[in-house]
Amino acid sequence: MSLDAGPRLQAVLAELRRVPDILGATIARRDGILIASALAKSMDPRKIAAMAAAIVGTSEMAATEMGLGVFNQSIVDTHIGKLLATGAGEEAILITMVRNDANMGLVLLSVDRAVQSIAAILDAESEVSAEATV
Amino acid sequence: MMASPRVSPPRAKTGIPVLDERLQGGFPRPSTLLLFSDKPTEKRLFGENFAVQGARSGEVSLYVDFFRAPQLARVELKRFGNVPTDKLVFVDATSSQLLLPSQEPYHIDDIGSLEKISAAILTAIEELHPARIVVDSMEFLIDRFPKEDVLKLWRRLIDAAKAAGTVICFLFINWTLVERDLQTIRAMSDFVVEFQSSVRGGIVRNSMRISQMEANGIRTNWIPYAFKDLVGMTVYFPRILVTGPFNAGKSTVVRALSEKSISIDRMGTTVAFDYGNVNMMGIEAEVFGTPGQERFEFIFKIFAREVSGVLLVVDSTRPEDLLRARQMLDLVGPRIPYVVLANKSDLPGALAPGEIARRMDLPEDVPVIPTVATEDKGVRDALLILAEMIIGVR
Repeated sequence: MSLDAGPRLQAVLAELRRVPDILGATIARRDGILIASALAKSMDPRKIAAMAAAIVGTSEMAATEMGLGVFNQSIVDTHIGKLLATGAGEEAILITMVRNDANMGLVLLSVDRAVQSIAAILDAESEVSAEATV
Repeated sequence: MMASPRVSPPRAKTGIPVLDERLQGGFPRPSTLLLFSDKPTEKRLFGENFAVQGARSGEVSLYVDFFRAPQLARVELKRFGNVPTDKLVFVDATSSQLLLPSQEPYHIDDIGSLEKISAAILTAIEELHPARIVVDSMEFLIDRFPKEDVLKLWRRLIDAAKAAGTVICFLFINWTLVERDLQTIRAMSDFVVEFQSSVRGGIVRNSMRISQMEANGIRTNWIPYAFKDLVGMTVYFPRILVTGPFNAGKSTVVRALSEKSISIDRMGTTVAFDYGNVNMMGIEAEVFGTPGQERFEFIFKIFAREVSGVLLVVDSTRPEDLLRARQMLDLVGPRIPYVVLANKSDLPGALAPGEIARRMDLPEDVPVIPTVATEDKGVRDALLILAEMIIGVR
């Protein structure tokens, strides 16, 4: 049942937020439309989704132009923390905010697991809707 | 001879000004609405919103709820913000099923008897003279009682609502009836509001379409809608693109339209995009401004998907850019409604809107609106016209 995608994506975000160094996470479509979010109330997830799409789109273009192959992840590094924008399947991006003194090994492992789950959930959903239209 | 003016009661507003305007102030009284879909959708939101809008404007709304206890319904309605509880009266259909005494003045004591159901609702209508009635929902009855009996009850409720000068809404998902029965039900209604929901890539989209049953009546396009916390139902455009050649004033247009906006610009030109959230006339829209320079065209392509409509901004004093403007429109794709904003129309040498249309070779029905974005002139009108084009009320 395709209506399950929403709660399942929320569960992936909840799982990520259990990692102590991760401050928040959001899933956006590659064109900047918000899919699901687990961020602090003070942030506008729709705005962040749009910006992440621009970051990923621009990074992807730069990578291609410079012959660096397939895009995987952009990292924005600041004096407070880091923002990770990671491709999650063909359609989605996972945005993760982490603390500066984070254990990056653990964070990257969790992010990697999360993007795989997200891609699987969205793939399964598009198969269901493809069947429904037959 | 002129017809004598009839005093008609004020119409029942939906609370969404852009729709109410098209409905000449709202749904006429009396009238019968069918809120219909053949799959589960968010039509209850329309019903709840309709009842809440009535209660807020001081009218009595009667809500017949077969699925929820009134106590629960009241808690759920808190998401609409402040709802005057004395104006929103429920017909309680659940207490008796749980063998609990009802706390409500109107209640159905035997859910197994269509007669008792009918009597409880009719008593409430006669005693209260509600200005709005929502019946949630008819499939509950169709699933339990013979079709003919339910249709009879349906007609009696319509008659009672007419006698009381009320707008009555019936929620109905069809699982079992054949097309001929559906036609009967449509013919009993003055307006049919159809609902659609889709989920794609984890994103839920809802839309509705309003059709007036009388010949040459109102018929809208599919109108995308969403729920806004503490407000209610709004027309919702996930993406309005503001585009146009370099230095036409796109960022200024986004800023003028939005309550809050951001611009990612460097040295006076947009290098990534502008983003703003628009809220006017019951419309909620997310507005994306693109860069104008050709070297940023890849950014444009990121955002040129699922576009509801386009505001194409041109500098009225620069005829040499109009060709580029036309090309940018082609990047968005065909069949997407657009309005041209003839910006900087206050400057000397500004071309008239008609002249811009001619030079761009625009189809006749494309509106060209003179604007001065720096002074917030014409910009909101342009968006409203675009919104009306998208939802098909223009």
